[in-house]
Amino acid sequence: MKEVMDATFMEEVMNSEQPVLVDFWAPWCGPCKMVTPVMEELSTQYDGKIKVVKVNVDENPEISEALRITSIPTIVLFKEGQPKDAVVGFRPKQDFEKMIEKHL
Amino acid sequence: MNQGQDLIVDQRYDLIVIGSGPAGISAAINGVIRKKKVKVFGISDLSEKLTKAPRIDNYLGFFGVSGMDLKNSFANHIQKMDIQITEEKVDAVYAMGDHFAVSTRLNMYEATSVVVATGVSIKKSIPGEDVFLGKGVGYCATCDAPIYKNKVVAIVGYDVHAEEEANFMLDVASKVYYIPMYKPIKKIREGIEILEKKPKEIIGDDHAKKLLFQDGELEADGFFILKDSVDLDQLVPGVEIAEGHFKVDRHMETNIPGLYAAGDCTGKPYQYLKAAGEGQVAALNAVSYLDNR
Ligand SMILES: Cc1cc2nc3c(=O)[nH]c(=O)nc-3n(C[C@H](O)[C@H](O)[C@H](O)COP(=O)(O)OP(=O)(O)OC[C@H]3O[C@@H](n4cnc5c(N)ncnc54)[C@H](O)[C@@H]3O)c2cc1C
Repeated sequence: MKEVMDATFMEEVMNSEQPVLVDFWAPWCGPCKMVTPVMEELSTQYDGKIKVVKVNVDENPEISEALRITSIPTIVLFKEGQPKDAVVGFRPKQDFEKMIEKHL
Repeated sequence: MNQGQDLIVDQRYDLIVIGSGPAGISAAINGVIRKKKVKVFGISDLSEKLTKAPRIDNYLGFFGVSGMDLKNSFANHIQKMDIQITEEKVDAVYAMGDHFAVSTRLNMYEATSVVVATGVSIKKSIPGEDVFLGKGVGYCATCDAPIYKNKVVAIVGYDVHAEEEANFMLDVASKVYYIPMYKPIKKIREGIEILEKKPKEIIGDDHAKKLLFQDGELEADGFFILKDSVDLDQLVPGVEIAEGHFKVDRHMETNIPGLYAAGDCTGKPYQYLKAAGEGQVAALNAVSYLDNR
Protein backbone atom coordinates (compact mmCIF):
# COMPACT_ATOMS: atom_id res chain seq x y z
CA MET A 1 0.00 0.00 0.00
CA LYS A 2 1.35 3.38 -0.99
CA GLU A 3 2.05 6.04 1.66
CA VAL A 4 0.70 9.44 0.70
CA MET A 5 2.00 12.69 2.24
CA ASP A 6 0.75 16.24 2.60
CA ALA A 7 2.90 17.08 -0.42
CA THR A 8 1.66 14.28 -2.66
CA PHE A 9 -2.01 14.14 -1.63
CA MET A 10 -3.16 16.42 -4.46
CA GLU A 11 -1.52 14.34 -7.14
CA GLU A 12 -2.14 10.87 -5.70
CA VAL A 13 -5.69 11.30 -4.42
CA MET A 14 -7.41 14.42 -5.71
CA ASN A 15 -6.22 14.07 -9.29
CA SER A 16 -6.47 10.29 -9.50
CA GLU A 17 -8.35 8.77 -12.43
CA GLN A 18 -9.59 5.91 -10.25
CA PRO A 19 -11.50 6.17 -6.98
CA VAL A 20 -9.10 6.19 -4.02
CA LEU A 21 -9.57 4.62 -0.62
CA VAL A 22 -7.50 6.57 1.90
CA ASP A 23 -6.66 5.05 5.28
CA PHE A 24 -5.76 7.70 7.87
CA TRP A 25 -3.69 6.03 10.57
CA ALA A 26 -0.93 6.42 13.12
CA PRO A 27 1.62 3.91 14.34
CA TRP A 28 0.42 3.95 17.96
CA CYS A 29 -3.22 3.22 17.26
CA GLY A 30 -4.28 -0.39 17.87
CA PRO A 31 -7.39 -0.50 15.64
CA CYS A 32 -5.28 1.01 12.80
CA LYS A 33 -3.02 -2.04 12.94
CA MET A 34 -6.09 -4.22 12.38
CA VAL A 35 -7.34 -2.15 9.46
CA THR A 36 -4.05 -2.41 7.56
CA PRO A 37 -4.34 -6.09 6.54
CA VAL A 38 -7.96 -5.51 5.50
CA MET A 39 -6.87 -2.56 3.32
CA GLU A 40 -4.13 -4.67 1.80
CA GLU A 41 -6.62 -7.38 0.88
CA LEU A 42 -8.96 -4.80 -0.67
CA SER A 43 -6.07 -3.34 -2.62
CA THR A 44 -5.39 -6.72 -4.26
CA GLN A 45 -9.06 -7.56 -4.69
CA TYR A 46 -9.90 -4.28 -6.48
CA ASP A 47 -6.60 -3.97 -8.35
CA GLY A 48 -7.13 -1.87 -11.47
CA LYS A 49 -10.49 -0.55 -10.21
CA ILE A 50 -9.57 1.47 -7.16
CA LYS A 51 -6.41 2.70 -5.56
CA VAL A 52 -5.76 2.11 -1.85
CA VAL A 53 -3.35 4.40 0.00
CA LYS A 54 -2.54 5.39 3.57
CA VAL A 55 -1.78 8.67 5.31
CA ASN A 56 0.12 8.85 8.59
CA VAL A 57 -1.74 11.63 10.49
CA ASP A 58 1.21 12.09 12.82
CA GLU A 59 3.48 13.12 9.99
CA ASN A 60 0.91 14.80 7.77
CA PRO A 61 -1.09 17.21 9.92
CA GLU A 62 -2.06 19.53 7.07
CA ILE A 63 -4.19 17.13 5.13
CA SER A 64 -5.66 15.59 8.29
CA GLU A 65 -6.66 19.07 9.49
CA ALA A 66 -8.12 20.06 6.17
CA LEU A 67 -10.32 16.96 6.11
CA ARG A 68 -11.13 17.31 9.82
CA ILE A 69 -10.04 13.82 10.71
CA THR A 70 -10.72 13.61 14.46
CA SER A 71 -10.49 9.88 15.09
CA ILE A 72 -8.30 7.18 13.69
CA PRO A 73 -8.56 4.99 11.85
CA THR A 74 -10.75 6.93 9.43
CA ILE A 75 -11.12 5.53 5.93
CA VAL A 76 -12.30 7.92 3.24
CA LEU A 77 -13.31 7.08 -0.31
CA PHE A 78 -12.45 9.76 -2.85
CA LYS A 79 -13.89 9.93 -6.32
CA GLU A 80 -13.08 12.67 -8.82
CA GLY A 81 -11.36 14.68 -6.12
CA GLN A 82 -14.30 14.56 -3.72
CA PRO A 83 -14.69 12.66 -0.46
CA LYS A 84 -17.76 10.50 -1.14
CA ASP A 85 -17.94 8.18 1.85
CA ALA A 86 -16.15 7.71 5.13
CA VAL A 87 -15.91 5.16 7.86
CA VAL A 88 -14.61 5.90 11.34
CA GLY A 89 -12.98 3.02 13.16
CA PHE A 90 -12.44 -0.59 12.26
CA ARG A 91 -15.07 -2.32 10.15
CA PRO A 92 -15.35 -5.90 8.89
CA LYS A 93 -14.09 -6.31 5.33
CA GLN A 94 -17.58 -6.75 3.84
CA ASP A 95 -18.53 -3.23 5.03
CA PHE A 96 -15.68 -1.74 3.01
CA GLU A 97 -16.62 -3.87 0.01
CA LYS A 98 -20.16 -2.47 0.13
CA MET A 99 -18.83 1.07 0.30
CA ILE A 100 -16.51 0.50 -2.66
CA GLU A 101 -19.13 -1.26 -4.83
CA LYS A 102 -21.47 1.71 -4.35
CA HIS A 103 -19.00 4.03 -6.03
CA LEU A 104 -17.57 1.86 -8.81
CA MET B 1 -4.54 2.53 25.63
CA ASN B 2 -3.15 0.71 22.64
CA GLN B 3 0.05 2.57 22.71
CA GLY B 4 3.05 0.28 22.57
CA GLN B 5 0.76 -2.72 22.45
CA ASP B 6 2.62 -5.81 21.46
CA LEU B 7 0.58 -7.98 19.22
CA ILE B 8 1.18 -11.29 20.86
CA VAL B 9 -0.79 -14.05 19.23
CA ASP B 10 -0.20 -17.19 21.22
CA GLN B 11 -2.31 -19.59 19.20
CA ARG B 12 -5.60 -19.68 17.35
CA TYR B 13 -8.55 -20.89 19.41
CA ASP B 14 -11.63 -22.52 17.94
CA LEU B 15 -13.87 -20.46 20.18
CA ILE B 16 -13.27 -17.42 22.33
CA VAL B 17 -15.98 -16.63 24.89
CA ILE B 18 -16.08 -13.08 26.19
CA GLY B 19 -17.77 -12.91 29.59
CA SER B 20 -17.90 -15.27 32.55
CA GLY B 21 -21.54 -14.92 33.62
CA PRO B 22 -24.07 -17.74 33.17
CA ALA B 23 -24.18 -17.15 29.39
CA GLY B 24 -20.43 -17.29 28.91
CA ILE B 25 -19.91 -20.23 31.28
CA SER B 26 -22.64 -22.25 29.59
CA ALA B 27 -21.16 -21.48 26.16
CA ALA B 28 -17.70 -22.54 27.32
CA ILE B 29 -18.93 -25.81 28.82
CA ASN B 30 -20.73 -26.77 25.63
CA GLY B 31 -17.78 -25.82 23.45
CA VAL B 32 -15.46 -27.98 25.56
CA ILE B 33 -17.89 -30.93 25.55
CA ARG B 34 -17.71 -30.78 21.74
CA LYS B 35 -13.90 -30.96 21.99
CA LYS B 36 -13.21 -27.46 20.79
CA LYS B 37 -10.26 -25.39 21.90
CA VAL B 38 -11.95 -22.72 24.01
CA LYS B 39 -10.74 -19.63 25.83
CA VAL B 40 -12.90 -17.63 28.27
CA PHE B 41 -12.35 -14.02 29.32
CA GLY B 42 -13.94 -12.63 32.48
CA ILE B 43 -13.42 -12.41 36.21
CA SER B 44 -12.60 -15.09 38.78
CA ASP B 45 -15.85 -14.29 40.63
CA LEU B 46 -17.69 -15.06 37.36
CA SER B 47 -20.26 -12.25 37.54
CA GLU B 48 -21.12 -9.47 39.95
CA LYS B 49 -24.74 -9.98 39.04
CA LEU B 50 -24.45 -13.47 40.45
CA THR B 51 -22.54 -12.74 43.63
CA LYS B 52 -24.81 -9.81 44.48
CA ALA B 53 -28.16 -11.58 44.12
CA PRO B 54 -29.62 -12.16 47.60
CA ARG B 55 -31.91 -15.06 46.75
CA ILE B 56 -32.82 -16.83 43.53
CA ASP B 57 -36.07 -18.76 43.11
CA ASN B 58 -36.27 -19.20 39.37
CA TYR B 59 -33.15 -21.18 38.54
CA LEU B 60 -34.30 -24.70 37.77
CA GLY B 61 -33.13 -27.14 40.42
CA PHE B 62 -31.82 -24.48 42.82
CA PHE B 63 -34.80 -23.18 44.80
CA GLY B 64 -33.97 -20.42 47.26
CA VAL B 65 -30.26 -20.43 46.53
CA SER B 66 -28.13 -17.34 47.17
CA GLY B 67 -26.25 -15.78 44.27
CA MET B 68 -22.97 -16.59 45.97
CA ASP B 69 -23.91 -20.28 46.30
CA LEU B 70 -25.00 -20.49 42.68
CA LYS B 71 -21.71 -18.86 41.67
CA ASN B 72 -19.83 -21.48 43.69
CA SER B 73 -21.73 -24.26 41.94
CA PHE B 74 -20.84 -22.76 38.55
CA ALA B 75 -17.19 -22.38 39.61
CA ASN B 76 -17.11 -25.98 40.76
CA HIS B 77 -18.61 -27.13 37.47
CA ILE B 78 -16.03 -25.40 35.28
CA GLN B 79 -13.20 -26.50 37.56
CA LYS B 80 -14.25 -30.13 37.06
CA MET B 81 -14.13 -29.58 33.31
CA ASP B 82 -10.76 -27.89 33.58
CA ILE B 83 -11.98 -24.57 32.17
CA GLN B 84 -9.90 -21.60 33.24
CA ILE B 85 -10.93 -17.98 33.10
CA THR B 86 -8.47 -15.49 31.71
CA GLU B 87 -8.83 -12.34 33.76
CA GLU B 88 -8.30 -9.77 31.07
CA LYS B 89 -10.77 -7.21 29.84
CA VAL B 90 -11.47 -7.44 26.15
CA ASP B 91 -11.26 -4.05 24.42
CA ALA B 92 -12.29 -5.05 20.94
CA VAL B 93 -13.19 -7.92 18.65
CA TYR B 94 -12.09 -7.44 15.05
CA ALA B 95 -13.69 -9.45 12.27
CA MET B 96 -10.72 -10.04 9.99
CA GLY B 97 -12.55 -12.14 7.42
CA ASP B 98 -11.55 -15.75 8.10
CA HIS B 99 -10.91 -15.26 11.81
CA PHE B 100 -11.38 -12.86 14.72
CA ALA B 101 -8.72 -10.87 16.50
CA VAL B 102 -9.58 -10.32 20.15
CA SER B 103 -7.59 -7.56 21.79
CA THR B 104 -7.15 -6.91 25.48
CA ARG B 105 -5.16 -4.13 27.06
CA LEU B 106 -1.94 -6.12 26.77
CA ASN B 107 -2.46 -9.00 24.39
CA MET B 108 -3.97 -10.04 21.12
CA TYR B 109 -5.69 -13.39 20.67
CA GLU B 110 -7.12 -15.14 17.62
CA ALA B 111 -10.14 -17.39 17.24
CA THR B 112 -12.16 -18.84 14.41
CA SER B 113 -15.46 -18.14 16.20
CA VAL B 114 -16.51 -15.90 19.08
CA VAL B 115 -19.37 -15.84 21.59
CA VAL B 116 -19.90 -12.44 23.20
CA ALA B 117 -21.59 -12.77 26.61
CA THR B 118 -20.67 -9.51 28.29
CA GLY B 119 -23.99 -8.79 30.00
CA VAL B 120 -25.39 -5.28 30.06
CA SER B 121 -23.96 -2.18 31.61
CA ILE B 122 -26.21 0.25 33.40
CA LYS B 123 -23.99 3.19 32.58
CA LYS B 124 -25.84 5.61 30.37
CA SER B 125 -24.16 7.53 27.63
CA ILE B 126 -24.22 11.27 27.36
CA PRO B 127 -26.83 12.61 24.92
CA GLY B 128 -25.12 13.75 21.73
CA GLU B 129 -22.24 11.33 22.23
CA ASP B 130 -23.38 9.09 19.37
CA VAL B 131 -24.24 12.05 17.11
CA PHE B 132 -20.70 13.40 17.21
CA LEU B 133 -18.80 10.12 17.34
CA GLY B 134 -15.86 10.56 14.97
CA LYS B 135 -16.70 14.25 14.73
CA GLY B 136 -14.89 15.40 17.82
CA VAL B 137 -16.07 12.64 20.14
CA GLY B 138 -13.92 9.56 20.68
CA TYR B 139 -13.49 6.58 22.99
CA CYS B 140 -9.74 6.13 22.95
CA ALA B 141 -7.76 9.24 23.89
CA THR B 142 -4.33 7.70 23.39
CA CYS B 143 -5.33 6.51 19.90
CA ASP B 144 -6.47 9.91 18.71
CA ALA B 145 -3.92 12.00 20.61
CA PRO B 146 -1.90 13.06 17.54
CA ILE B 147 -4.97 14.77 16.17
CA TYR B 148 -5.29 16.97 19.24
CA LYS B 149 -1.76 18.34 19.25
CA ASN B 150 -1.96 21.84 20.78
CA LYS B 151 -5.72 21.69 21.07
CA VAL B 152 -8.20 21.69 23.93
CA VAL B 153 -9.44 18.30 25.06
CA ALA B 154 -12.12 17.32 27.59
CA ILE B 155 -12.09 13.80 29.02
CA VAL B 156 -15.04 12.28 30.84
CA GLY B 157 -13.70 9.34 32.86
CA TYR B 158 -15.94 6.64 34.29
CA ASP B 159 -13.23 4.80 36.21
CA VAL B 160 -9.59 5.12 37.32
CA HIS B 161 -8.27 3.57 34.10
CA ALA B 162 -9.30 6.77 32.32
CA GLU B 163 -6.77 8.75 34.37
CA GLU B 164 -3.88 7.14 32.51
CA GLU B 165 -5.27 8.39 29.22
CA ALA B 166 -5.88 11.89 30.57
CA ASN B 167 -2.31 12.05 31.89
CA PHE B 168 -1.00 10.95 28.53
CA MET B 169 -3.08 13.54 26.70
CA LEU B 170 -1.45 16.31 28.75
CA ASP B 171 1.80 15.77 26.81
CA VAL B 172 0.05 16.45 23.53
CA ALA B 173 -2.88 18.81 23.99
CA SER B 174 -2.58 22.48 24.95
CA LYS B 175 -5.22 22.07 27.65
CA VAL B 176 -6.82 19.03 29.25
CA TYR B 177 -10.01 19.05 31.30
CA TYR B 178 -10.90 15.95 33.30
CA ILE B 179 -14.46 15.25 34.38
CA PRO B 180 -14.47 12.30 36.81
CA MET B 181 -17.68 10.29 37.10
CA TYR B 182 -16.40 8.33 40.12
CA LYS B 183 -14.66 8.87 43.43
CA PRO B 184 -11.95 9.15 44.55
CA ILE B 185 -9.52 10.36 41.92
CA LYS B 186 -6.23 8.51 42.21
CA LYS B 187 -3.54 10.17 40.18
CA ILE B 188 -4.21 13.03 37.81
CA ARG B 189 -1.15 14.99 36.74
CA GLU B 190 -0.69 18.59 37.68
CA GLY B 191 -1.76 20.84 34.83
CA ILE B 192 -4.97 18.96 34.14
CA GLU B 193 -8.02 20.91 35.20
CA ILE B 194 -10.50 18.77 37.10
CA LEU B 195 -14.16 19.67 36.82
CA GLU B 196 -16.45 17.93 39.28
CA LYS B 197 -19.63 18.38 37.28
CA LYS B 198 -22.20 16.13 35.75
CA PRO B 199 -22.26 16.14 31.93
CA LYS B 200 -25.69 16.79 30.48
CA GLU B 201 -25.21 16.89 26.72
CA ILE B 202 -22.69 17.31 23.94
CA ILE B 203 -23.66 19.91 21.36
CA GLY B 204 -22.19 21.30 18.16
CA ASP B 205 -22.89 21.80 14.46
CA ASP B 206 -21.14 19.42 12.06
CA HIS B 207 -18.55 18.94 14.78
CA ALA B 208 -18.77 18.65 18.57
CA LYS B 209 -18.22 22.04 20.21
CA LYS B 210 -19.40 22.08 23.81
CA LEU B 211 -20.10 19.87 26.76
CA LEU B 212 -23.08 21.14 28.71
CA PHE B 213 -23.40 20.73 32.48
CA GLN B 214 -26.30 21.37 34.83
CA ASP B 215 -24.59 24.66 35.58
CA GLY B 216 -22.40 25.92 32.81
CA GLU B 217 -20.63 24.58 29.76
CA LEU B 218 -17.20 23.70 28.49
CA GLU B 219 -15.82 24.43 25.05
CA ALA B 220 -13.21 22.08 23.57
CA ASP B 221 -11.86 20.74 20.28
CA GLY B 222 -12.20 17.13 21.30
CA PHE B 223 -14.25 15.14 23.80
CA PHE B 224 -13.38 11.68 25.06
CA ILE B 225 -15.84 9.47 26.89
CA LEU B 226 -13.90 6.73 28.66
CA LYS B 227 -16.14 4.04 30.12
CA ASP B 228 -15.22 0.90 31.99
CA SER B 229 -17.40 -1.17 29.73
CA VAL B 230 -17.42 -0.23 26.10
CA ASP B 231 -20.64 -0.03 24.14
CA LEU B 232 -21.42 -3.16 22.18
CA ASP B 233 -20.71 -1.64 18.77
CA GLN B 234 -17.43 -0.27 20.12
CA LEU B 235 -16.54 -3.71 21.41
CA VAL B 236 -17.33 -5.30 18.04
CA PRO B 237 -16.93 -2.72 15.27
CA GLY B 238 -19.40 -3.35 12.47
CA VAL B 239 -21.84 -5.43 14.48
CA GLU B 240 -25.54 -4.73 14.10
CA ILE B 241 -27.31 -3.38 17.15
CA ALA B 242 -31.06 -3.28 17.75
CA GLU B 243 -32.37 -1.20 20.64
CA GLY B 244 -29.12 -1.28 22.53
CA HIS B 245 -28.53 -5.02 22.24
CA PHE B 246 -26.84 -7.34 19.77
CA LYS B 247 -29.16 -8.26 16.95
CA VAL B 248 -29.18 -12.08 16.78
CA ASP B 249 -31.17 -14.74 14.97
CA ARG B 250 -32.45 -18.03 16.40
CA HIS B 251 -28.92 -19.41 16.18
CA MET B 252 -27.72 -16.52 18.34
CA GLU B 253 -25.64 -15.44 15.35
CA THR B 254 -25.01 -11.74 14.72
CA ASN B 255 -24.72 -10.11 11.28
CA ILE B 256 -21.06 -11.16 11.28
CA PRO B 257 -20.65 -14.85 10.33
CA GLY B 258 -18.98 -16.81 13.11
CA LEU B 259 -19.80 -14.22 15.76
CA TYR B 260 -22.48 -15.16 18.28
CA ALA B 261 -23.97 -13.37 21.28
CA ALA B 262 -25.75 -14.69 24.37
CA GLY B 263 -27.26 -13.54 27.64
CA ASP B 264 -28.33 -10.08 28.74
CA CYS B 265 -26.40 -8.47 25.87
CA THR B 266 -28.94 -9.84 23.36
CA GLY B 267 -31.94 -8.31 25.14
CA LYS B 268 -34.61 -8.86 27.75
CA PRO B 269 -35.65 -10.71 29.82
CA TYR B 270 -32.51 -10.43 31.96
CA GLN B 271 -32.51 -13.83 33.66
CA TYR B 272 -29.97 -16.51 34.54
CA LEU B 273 -31.63 -19.40 32.75
CA LYS B 274 -32.30 -17.46 29.59
CA ALA B 275 -28.63 -16.44 29.62
CA ALA B 276 -27.41 -20.00 30.15
CA GLY B 277 -29.76 -21.33 27.44
CA GLU B 278 -28.61 -18.75 24.94
CA GLY B 279 -24.98 -19.51 25.76
CA GLN B 280 -25.62 -23.14 24.94
CA VAL B 281 -27.37 -22.38 21.64
CA ALA B 282 -24.59 -19.97 20.67
CA ALA B 283 -21.82 -22.48 21.43
CA LEU B 284 -23.50 -25.36 19.60
CA ASN B 285 -23.99 -23.21 16.52
CA ALA B 286 -20.42 -22.00 16.75
CA VAL B 287 -19.45 -25.69 16.75
CA SER B 288 -21.43 -26.30 13.53
CA TYR B 289 -19.86 -23.21 12.03
CA LEU B 290 -16.41 -24.59 12.87
CA ASP B 291 -17.23 -28.07 11.57
CA ASN B 292 -18.61 -26.77 8.26
CA ARG B 293 -15.54 -24.81 7.34
C1 LIG C 1 -29.07 -8.08 42.30
C2 LIG C 1 -29.54 -8.93 41.14
C3 LIG C 1 -30.41 -9.98 41.34
C4 LIG C 1 -30.83 -10.79 40.28
N1 LIG C 1 -31.68 -11.82 40.55
C5 LIG C 1 -32.05 -12.64 39.55
C6 LIG C 1 -32.89 -13.77 39.81
O1 LIG C 1 -33.31 -14.00 40.95
N2 LIG C 1 -33.22 -14.58 38.78
C7 LIG C 1 -32.74 -14.36 37.51
O2 LIG C 1 -33.05 -15.17 36.62
N3 LIG C 1 -31.96 -13.29 37.22
C8 LIG C 1 -31.61 -12.42 38.21
N4 LIG C 1 -30.81 -11.35 37.92
C9 LIG C 1 -30.41 -11.10 36.51
C10 LIG C 1 -29.14 -11.91 36.15
O3 LIG C 1 -28.13 -11.50 37.02
C11 LIG C 1 -28.68 -11.68 34.71
O4 LIG C 1 -29.74 -11.89 33.82
C12 LIG C 1 -27.53 -12.65 34.33
O5 LIG C 1 -26.45 -12.49 35.20
C13 LIG C 1 -27.09 -12.45 32.90
O6 LIG C 1 -26.00 -13.28 32.61
P1 LIG C 1 -24.93 -12.91 31.49
O7 LIG C 1 -24.01 -14.07 31.43
O8 LIG C 1 -25.64 -12.51 30.26
O9 LIG C 1 -24.19 -11.61 32.00
P2 LIG C 1 -23.46 -11.26 33.36
O10 LIG C 1 -23.88 -12.14 34.46
O11 LIG C 1 -23.63 -9.79 33.54
O12 LIG C 1 -21.93 -11.59 33.06
C14 LIG C 1 -21.16 -10.87 32.17
C15 LIG C 1 -19.70 -11.13 32.47
O13 LIG C 1 -18.90 -10.63 31.43
C16 LIG C 1 -17.79 -9.96 31.95
N5 LIG C 1 -17.40 -8.94 30.97
C17 LIG C 1 -18.11 -7.87 30.53
N6 LIG C 1 -17.44 -7.19 29.60
C18 LIG C 1 -16.26 -7.84 29.44
C19 LIG C 1 -15.12 -7.61 28.62
N7 LIG C 1 -15.07 -6.58 27.76
N8 LIG C 1 -14.07 -8.46 28.71
C20 LIG C 1 -14.10 -9.51 29.56
N9 LIG C 1 -15.16 -9.78 30.37
C21 LIG C 1 -16.22 -8.95 30.31
C22 LIG C 1 -18.29 -9.35 33.25
O14 LIG C 1 -17.22 -9.11 34.13
C23 LIG C 1 -19.20 -10.45 33.75
O15 LIG C 1 -18.42 -11.36 34.47
C24 LIG C 1 -30.40 -10.53 38.97
C25 LIG C 1 -29.52 -9.45 38.75
C26 LIG C 1 -29.08 -8.66 39.81
C27 LIG C 1 -28.13 -7.52 39.54
